[in-house]
Amino acid sequence: MSREAGGGRRRAADESGTDPVERGERPARDERPAERVRSGERPMRADPVVATVNLVKIYQNGGVPVPAVRGVDLRVERGEFVAIMGPSGSGKSTLVHMLGGLDPRTSGEIWLDGKRADTLGESAWALLRRKKIGFVFQFFNLVANMTVADNVELPALLAGASPREARERRERLLDALGLTGRADAAPAQLAGGEQQRVALARALANRPSLLLADEPTGNLDSRNTRDVLKLLGEVHRDGQTIIMVTHDARVASLADRVVSLLDGQIVDDGAVAAPRRRPKGTAGDVVELRG
Amino acid sequence: MSTVRASARWIRADLRARRGQAILTVLAVAGIVTALITSATLLEDGTNPWRRLFAQTKGAHVWIHTEDAPAVAALSRLPGVEQVAGPYRTAPVTLVLDGKKSPVALREAAVQPPRVAAPLVREGRWLRPGDAGGVVVERSFAQAVGLRVGGPFPVTALSGASHPLVVVGLADSADQGFYPEWTPGLAWTLPATLAAIEPAQGRSESVTGLRLSDGEDTLPAVHGAVTLLDEQVQRMSTWREVRASMELDNRLLGLLLALFGAAGLVAAALALANATGGRVLTQTRDIATLKSLGYTRGQVFAVLVTEHGALGLLGIALGLACGRLVTTFTLDGLPILPLSPVPLLAITGGTAAVVLVAVALPAWRGGRTPPIPAAPAAPPRGRLSRLARLALLVRLPPALVLGTRDAFTRRTPAVLSVVGLAVPMMMITIGLGCWATLDDFLRHPERVGQAAALTVHPGRLPADEAARLARADRDVAAVYPGAEVSALEPEQTRSVLARALGTSAEPYPFSVAEGRMFAARGEAVAGQGLLDLLGAEIGDRVRMTVGGTPLIVHIVGRVVEPEHDGEVLSLGIDSLAAKDAVPPQFYGLVLRQGADPEAVRARLLAASGEALEVRQAVNPAERLAVIRVVIVALTVVLALLALANLLTASALGLRDHALDLAVLKAMGLTPRQVAATLVTGTGLLVVLGVTAGTAVGASVVAGLIDLQGHTSGVGAGIGRTPSALTLATAAGTAIGAALLVAVIPARRAARAQVPVTAR
Repeated sequence: MSREAGGGRRRAADESGTDPVERGERPARDERPAERVRSGERPMRADPVVATVNLVKIYQNGGVPVPAVRGVDLRVERGEFVAIMGPSGSGKSTLVHMLGGLDPRTSGEIWLDGKRADTLGESAWALLRRKKIGFVFQFFNLVANMTVADNVELPALLAGASPREARERRERLLDALGLTGRADAAPAQLAGGEQQRVALARALANRPSLLLADEPTGNLDSRNTRDVLKLLGEVHRDGQTIIMVTHDARVASLADRVVSLLDGQIVDDGAVAAPRRRPKGTAGDVVELRG
Repeated sequence: MSTVRASARWIRADLRARRGQAILTVLAVAGIVTALITSATLLEDGTNPWRRLFAQTKGAHVWIHTEDAPAVAALSRLPGVEQVAGPYRTAPVTLVLDGKKSPVALREAAVQPPRVAAPLVREGRWLRPGDAGGVVVERSFAQAVGLRVGGPFPVTALSGASHPLVVVGLADSADQGFYPEWTPGLAWTLPATLAAIEPAQGRSESVTGLRLSDGEDTLPAVHGAVTLLDEQVQRMSTWREVRASMELDNRLLGLLLALFGAAGLVAAALALANATGGRVLTQTRDIATLKSLGYTRGQVFAVLVTEHGALGLLGIALGLACGRLVTTFTLDGLPILPLSPVPLLAITGGTAAVVLVAVALPAWRGGRTPPIPAAPAAPPRGRLSRLARLALLVRLPPALVLGTRDAFTRRTPAVLSVVGLAVPMMMITIGLGCWATLDDFLRHPERVGQAAALTVHPGRLPADEAARLARADRDVAAVYPGAEVSALEPEQTRSVLARALGTSAEPYPFSVAEGRMFAARGEAVAGQGLLDLLGAEIGDRVRMTVGGTPLIVHIVGRVVEPEHDGEVLSLGIDSLAAKDAVPPQFYGLVLRQGADPEAVRARLLAASGEALEVRQAVNPAERLAVIRVVIVALTVVLALLALANLLTASALGLRDHALDLAVLKAMGLTPRQVAATLVTGTGLLVVLGVTAGTAVGASVVAGLIDLQGHTSGVGAGIGRTPSALTLATAAGTAIGAALLVAVIPARRAARAQVPVTAR
């Protein structure tokens, strides 16, 4: 992994972290999530990047309601790295999809950057995603027909950047992720880890205020997992807010905070106690977290 | 719009990835448009030769016949007049050939052809300075009276003097309609010759043509000329009358083309919808990814419509260009005018609308793709179908069973594929039916009311002598006396043809489709067109005026009647008044099976010393020969469409079962068996589509052609289903070709290393 492009990354992160326009246009609302009535702190502290209030998702499976998420209250501050853990079917992917507007919520509220988002329509969500949300998926989901360069430039162009601007951004990102030489390759020619790095570059192309990663290492071997996690860590250190879904405690241990879901409800929410750079995770940690 | 650049990249990448399929789509649409334009042009040209002739001869819009030469300068100043042709001096003469007299307008013409309304020489040459006795004859007139280049053209002037002229050339002209619809016949000669034949100015007239700047607006020029020339004008004609007299009956052909065009469009729409739909299905994940990146539903729809619609529109543009090229260059080098703007616009607009609708539906579905790209879209899976279980029970090869099961995992695309193949196949079958019907016309002319291959007009001989000569020929099976008179229908507004042929006791073998043949005086059979015109049914008694004699006609049957839009009354010659029936005007000759009409004609002419006038019947199939070109062209286009459908079905099958391939191999299937599974999956749809299409086509073709026959006045009873052998060959060829096409990607897929993980 290259470290020499750290400056560029930092610059990108700074810009996205303090967007003066965003804060300037935020209207004074009187309907706010109950727990967020701390108006006095406003000049000191920005709105949380994400806040949900009693978020519920119920799927209809052949007329039978199947609750996937059952009343989740989650609040993620700017610059936080949150891992969402839980066994299969605990609703973690559904939660992240709802946060990104890919899946409509059944009830409850979603607030992004201090604005209510759950009432938005499908198109409004799409416009919001362009500017504020980056997605990384388990299966990378690069557009197979497009080159790596085009894949990374696509969101920038979509958000209205000029082709030159998009190209510069793409060069910077690929450079930072150590993929400069692969710009003209087709995604199928890349190894899994490389594909996921391209997906990460694509997710970061618009300097989103929130990066949503759904099992980003679920389809990678241990070496590539380490590389991708290292990258996520670096991005996070540059100020990027990240919410990552994983069922792997080792992966989750990289985050600042781990939220555990079980049957669609938060059963545990706490900062990772151990120092970041501990020598090795002990077997006890893993057992405890999985339990 | 900010999405334009991103969308453009996506479209470019997608098109690059499926170049072959995109080209095929363009070609299919281009083929349809080319075929439509070509057939419409042929139809327009074949049924309305006026347009081409007028353009080629730079014809005059208005012709004025006056006693003396009018003032050209004054005429050219009339509103809208661009150029003036003539005035030409024209003398009425009579052509006397083999005892037959035909009226001719002999018109003076300069050695240098005029700039406006110049006759177009088709055979021989134009007049030269030394051609003292030479004439150039208008072609339809020459054909009607049997003139050849170099042949004699003996004319009698009004004074009674005969002049032996010689035909030096045959020319087309848009100055007047075709002979005999438009009489007198037209011939051009040098002014000196004309002066010698008709020295008296008073017995000739002056003909002047006006070419207008706007042909649609003839009224000002006509009014102006009438005011200017006043009493001088003897008669006037405009291009509209000329065109009307040149128009042929085109309803049958038009209907056929419209049917083929509409079906071709439907097939093209199906192919496009299938291709777009298949592409959308294959791209579900990519579309979901785009949505997760921030594409809205409407934008995805717009991107898909733009991409696939652009291919269709490109095809239309290419088709327009090809249609133009084909009609300009390849049609036997015939100089054919491009299609007039109205049908051209209709074809372009209609195809564009069809293309966009066909693309919009799957694109709309694509726009509704949920934005979660995580799960690879899998086809709905279910239990083995009853059919598959039955197949396993009777121990069919596993590849066959698995392929059968695969064919229907996705219902909608499977149905679209089957229908997409069935429609072209149905149309091809109908085309073959039309072909068979035409062949049947040619092989059994008696079934279309043309039992008599020859008609003999007595000419210079007495009628009895003509009949005796005809009966004496060894190849003549029967001779029927005949006469043609005009009949007025009860309201006395329209006159139709009454054809008496044979007697009530011994009727001519008309092809009776309904009812029975006439068997007594006063009974008659009618064509469909006449029944429609009279609003009569079989069994009705109708009061008509036949040949000037009132007659109550008992219509006892309907015959297949290819002439005069079926508006013909056929009856026994004994039903006619004696003045019309004795002696018979002509004899209809039915030849023995296998006899050559040309040889019999030659023998009869020789036996009578060229005194008889023997005509060969023109088979309606020969007039419809252009249909065959249309059938071949459309079959090619339809095959192309079917191919596009097939490739979509094959690609979709491959995509849906790519993951299964690894499992199949793991189960122990050889690559050959894997390929066989894939081919079976596609092939089953092909077999179903082709069989259904052939069956439907074969069952409707006779009815359809009869329906067309009915509307064109010929009457039902002409439609023929193609023979079982033809059908089997067509279906077999289609299935075989389809399987061959399906084998190539299947083999490649079966050999390739298939990843076991999700993509």
